Amino acid sequence: MSTTTVESKHSAALDAAETGDAHLITVTLRVRRFNPEVSDQVVWVDYEMQMDPKERVLDALHKIKWELDGTLTFRRSCAHGICGSDAMRINGRNRLACKTLLKDINPEKPITVEPIKGLTVLKDLVVDMEPFFQAFRDVMPFLVTKGNEPTRERLQSAEDRARFDDTTKCILCAACTSSCPVFWNDGQYFGPAAIVNAHRFIFDSRDEAGEQRLEILNDRDGVWRCRTTFNCTDACPRGIEVTKAIQEVKRALLTRRF
Amino acid sequence: MQIHKYDTVIVGAGGAGMRAAIEATKRSRTAVLTKLYPTRSHTGAAQGGMAAALANVEEDNWEWHTFDTIKGGDYLVDQDAAEILAKEAIDAVLDLEKMGLPFNRTPEGRIDQRRFGGHTRNHGEAAVRRSCYAADRTGHMILQTLYQNCVKEGVEFFNEFYVLDLLLAEVDGVKRTAGVVAYELATGEIHVFQAKAVIFASGGNGKFYKVTSNAHTLTGDGQAAAWRRGLPLEDMEFFQFHPTGIWRMGILLTEGARGEGGILRNKDGERFMERYAPVMKDLASRDVVSRAIYTEIREGRGCGPEGDHVYLDLTHLPPEQLDAKLPDITEFARTYLGIEPYTDPVPIQPTAHYAMGGIPTNVQGEVLTDNTTVVPGLYAAGEVACVSVHGANRLGTNSLLDINVFGRRSGIAAAEYAATHDFVELPENPDSLVVELVERMRDANGGERVTDIRKALQETMDANAMVFRTEQTLKQAVSDIAALKVRYKSISVQDKGKRYNTDLLEAVELGNLLDLAEVLAVSALARKESRGGHYREDYPTRDDVNFMRHTMAYREVGEDGEESIRLDYKPVVQTRYQPMERKY
Amino acid sequence: MSAETHNPVDAADAADGGVTPFGPDNPAPFIEPPRARTKRTPRATRTNFEMYGWLFMRLSGIVLVVLVLGHLLIQLVLDGGVSKIGFAFVAGRWANPFWQLWDLAMLWLAMLHGANGLRTVINDYAERDVTRTWLKWLLYAATVFTVLLGTLVIFTFDPNIQ
Ligand SMILES: Cc1cc2nc3c(=O)[nH]c(=O)nc-3n(C[C@H](O)[C@H](O)[C@H](O)COP(=O)(O)OP(=O)(O)OC[C@H]3O[C@@H](n4cnc5c(N)ncnc54)[C@H](O)[C@@H]3O)c2cc1C
Ligand code: HEM
Ligand code: SF4
Ligand code: FES
Repeated sequence: MSTTTVESKHSAALDAAETGDAHLITVTLRVRRFNPEVSDQVVWVDYEMQMDPKERVLDALHKIKWELDGTLTFRRSCAHGICGSDAMRINGRNRLACKTLLKDINPEKPITVEPIKGLTVLKDLVVDMEPFFQAFRDVMPFLVTKGNEPTRERLQSAEDRARFDDTTKCILCAACTSSCPVFWNDGQYFGPAAIVNAHRFIFDSRDEAGEQRLEILNDRDGVWRCRTTFNCTDACPRGIEVTKAIQEVKRALLTRRF
Repeated sequence: MQIHKYDTVIVGAGGAGMRAAIEATKRSRTAVLTKLYPTRSHTGAAQGGMAAALANVEEDNWEWHTFDTIKGGDYLVDQDAAEILAKEAIDAVLDLEKMGLPFNRTPEGRIDQRRFGGHTRNHGEAAVRRSCYAADRTGHMILQTLYQNCVKEGVEFFNEFYVLDLLLAEVDGVKRTAGVVAYELATGEIHVFQAKAVIFASGGNGKFYKVTSNAHTLTGDGQAAAWRRGLPLEDMEFFQFHPTGIWRMGILLTEGARGEGGILRNKDGERFMERYAPVMKDLASRDVVSRAIYTEIREGRGCGPEGDHVYLDLTHLPPEQLDAKLPDITEFARTYLGIEPYTDPVPIQPTAHYAMGGIPTNVQGEVLTDNTTVVPGLYAAGEVACVSVHGANRLGTNSLLDINVFGRRSGIAAAEYAATHDFVELPENPDSLVVELVERMRDANGGERVTDIRKALQETMDANAMVFRTEQTLKQAVSDIAALKVRYKSISVQDKGKRYNTDLLEAVELGNLLDLAEVLAVSALARKESRGGHYREDYPTRDDVNFMRHTMAYREVGEDGEESIRLDYKPVVQTRYQPMERKY
Repeated sequence: MSAETHNPVDAADAADGGVTPFGPDNPAPFIEPPRARTKRTPRATRTNFEMYGWLFMRLSGIVLVVLVLGHLLIQLVLDGGVSKIGFAFVAGRWANPFWQLWDLAMLWLAMLHGANGLRTVINDYAERDVTRTWLKWLLYAATVFTVLLGTLVIFTFDPNIQ
């Protein structure tokens, strides 16, 4: 039987991706460690290992945990940037360890890895996420509607759906909130992630509690504390325009009054 | 040890667990125990969509969906269950929409639908648009929406609690559910949860394969806990290999990519699926496509310097379509491979994806202790369970459906059971097994490293129990696993602490994987036929005379304490569909 | 387990290499950040104060651009620059109600703007509740004092004072 065949295209990038195990390079991970069962002090520990530069920082952390020091502790699950477990400060910037390839962060120099800031450090890279989720829960992050449910789906135009598309992508990794200097010094600030999740509903045409959410974010610890440093937008591994979302909430609050 | 008392305890906060929790919380005092924060569950990784015959974009009905499910499962599907799945699918999707799920929309504002492998109109005539989706983030949206509604309903979560044991107590000669035992990651404390009803929704167990789309945490803890307590596991030999995982990494590229028009090509640029499935081509069912890919590779038509993969070609699709419908997977290709899917084909290979088998249940989600007897108060839903709606091979988009339909059903059933029954008295020293396990692990100072054993397990599973299997490879797998189990007895755990001791838990998880891999290999060895996801090169055809039946594996402990696996079989429920040859 | 059963492996791993008083049963305190949100964190206050504050910073800023630049222009550039400034110059200007109002607006806006700005800075940087309260009261007192004194001077200024 004849089948459709096309001329195969081959770019340099594809060739590079297809070459098997590249040469290994020596990588040093400098990890900020804290174990309350051992000491009340933080220590920086260097781990040197041979890695393929195409591997992830998470792979390097696993190599440490599995081969060098089993006590190194961090959270992770999906390993491809979808579950939000492994936000950490890598070379001074918040990222997901599973979405950061070694070759992209200058592996010639020691790579620093720290827990995200502004949350209680419980052990090594593990922080207490409760305050973060508390802020999320405090913005009514669920659809609220009035009246009778329709028998079929609620209708929503593709444009209305697109209005809040960006903020539906959030995986609650806390990279944004813990990159915010305001949050570092005052954990009562709702923080970018909670605002992003409020935005997702405020701008959903089906929702009817936008007013209440705006009122919550109009608070002392709400959107007005944002100083537009854009750290959150830079940190978001999902590419959400976080600062823009916050500004849109501010604008909604202003236009509500004026 | 702390003791808690709840009417209903749910183990797992993925799609199935949270769907159940929303129902159970309304009806009974409910606790959800989960080893991950709910939004970290692997349901969030699902991309393609959720099937339901909404007929929003073209003619469709649930009967066709039932047929496709049964045919897709190579007739090993229990047909009464498949009918429920397809019928309740419509409300399941509409319920999610009402909870707020942001589906993609048609120009009229309805939920949009797209094509997916194995879903056809009128019993196989042509591909039908049945998958409801939200870009390539359907699972993410389901997980977020369910969590949002759990917040709304005030569901009580115990996050980072690892359930390690199931408590059953014999009352009047009947095994009944008494509760579960959990290990709190933050403190190392052991908690006993006494419950009238328990629902297992702890997800899959794909981590015993090396190339897999599954998360590091999918280690089959629920299946293993039930197994250790003498409950059977059904159809464990049936494991799905998804055709399009990123080469070597296993990260999934949704079938929706082919639903949108993506094409598989070999090194000659040939659209080889036309040879294997003339009608459905690239959208044939997953087992068919995975085998086709490996056949191409074996026959020397694989791509790359080592000829060990093929291409998923999206380059003929307009970039706007990729951006709108497949934004995440195109980004995966950019991030992890450094290539641009607008212009380059993506190197892929089949990746271990989904466990069709699991804890046997009936259509109410009640767990079975043999072919017919239920364990009062015990339920299972989601990937951990085997209803069986997926039979020998699950159709894409049917699992997100499964977790919603059977999650809901078991949530309601469990809460109603709890309302009409009393607590069963806890056995004496309810935590003894877990205490013993944790202490043993903490004190483990042997010469073997967990990582070495895990790696060896994954390697033997990939080599011997993957897409193609033979008597010889499976025997190899069985003996390798047996040897690894011996080595596992002398592992060492370096972290001796109590707080966040993930080192210890990884060792426990490895134990679960070893148990389950053994069940898989032993069940596969005994099934001397090829059906769905289970392909035996030495028995390449389906054998309905001898094997139109579910495998039921039981753990037996001999008088000398020696463990062994006993296999039994359970008839398939057939209602209106007679087995036919499966062609796409 | 009792507190005495230190684990030799852990102890050897300790930061300073020696035996520490900490172990699985008596862990060191966690490293906590300031002011974490909890279930008891106060809910919405239902006032628009922060919004008006935010808006005021921007609006007063715009007005201040005109006022301050105009002020600087007159004081430092026109009419021979700084050298002309003296008692007579100030007296001359404040004889005109226009300049009185100009300086009054500048005083009030700059002070309120600056005070609100510093309030923000305190909220951002002071970690402990007590510190916050004290610093803010200090700030408010200084602001009120300066604004009142300034206003008094502008309106009660006597060009004939000896
Ligand atoms: C990459 C990928 C893409 C997929 N795409 C699709 C798709 O497009 N369409 C489709 O229909 N299906 C798809 N699937 C399949 C589907 O997503 C899963 O089968 C389904 O989400 C499983 O849901 P679950 O609720 O059973 O388990 P999970 O979502 O895996 O949740 C398991 C839960 O159990 C908890 N848990 C586990 N062990 C323990 C323990 N010991 N103690 C306490 N809690 C525990 C975890 O914390 C977690 O909350 C995909 C799967 C993968 C991997
Ligand atoms: C030239 C005209 C001025 C303009 C356009 C201006 C504008 C602004 C704006 C927009 C902010 C808010 C920044 C934010 O919210 O992130 C601000 C903050 C502030 N302003 Fe002004 N301002 C001016 C003059 C002044 C003067 C004269 C003072 C001193 C009295 C002053 C003191 C402050 C302080 C202390 C802050 C807070 C600092 C901070 O937010 O980091 N400003 N200004
Ligand atoms: S907005 Fe982005 S950075 Fe912030 S929590 Fe969500 S995904 Fe993470
Ligand atoms: S491990 Fe899931 S986001 Fe990194």
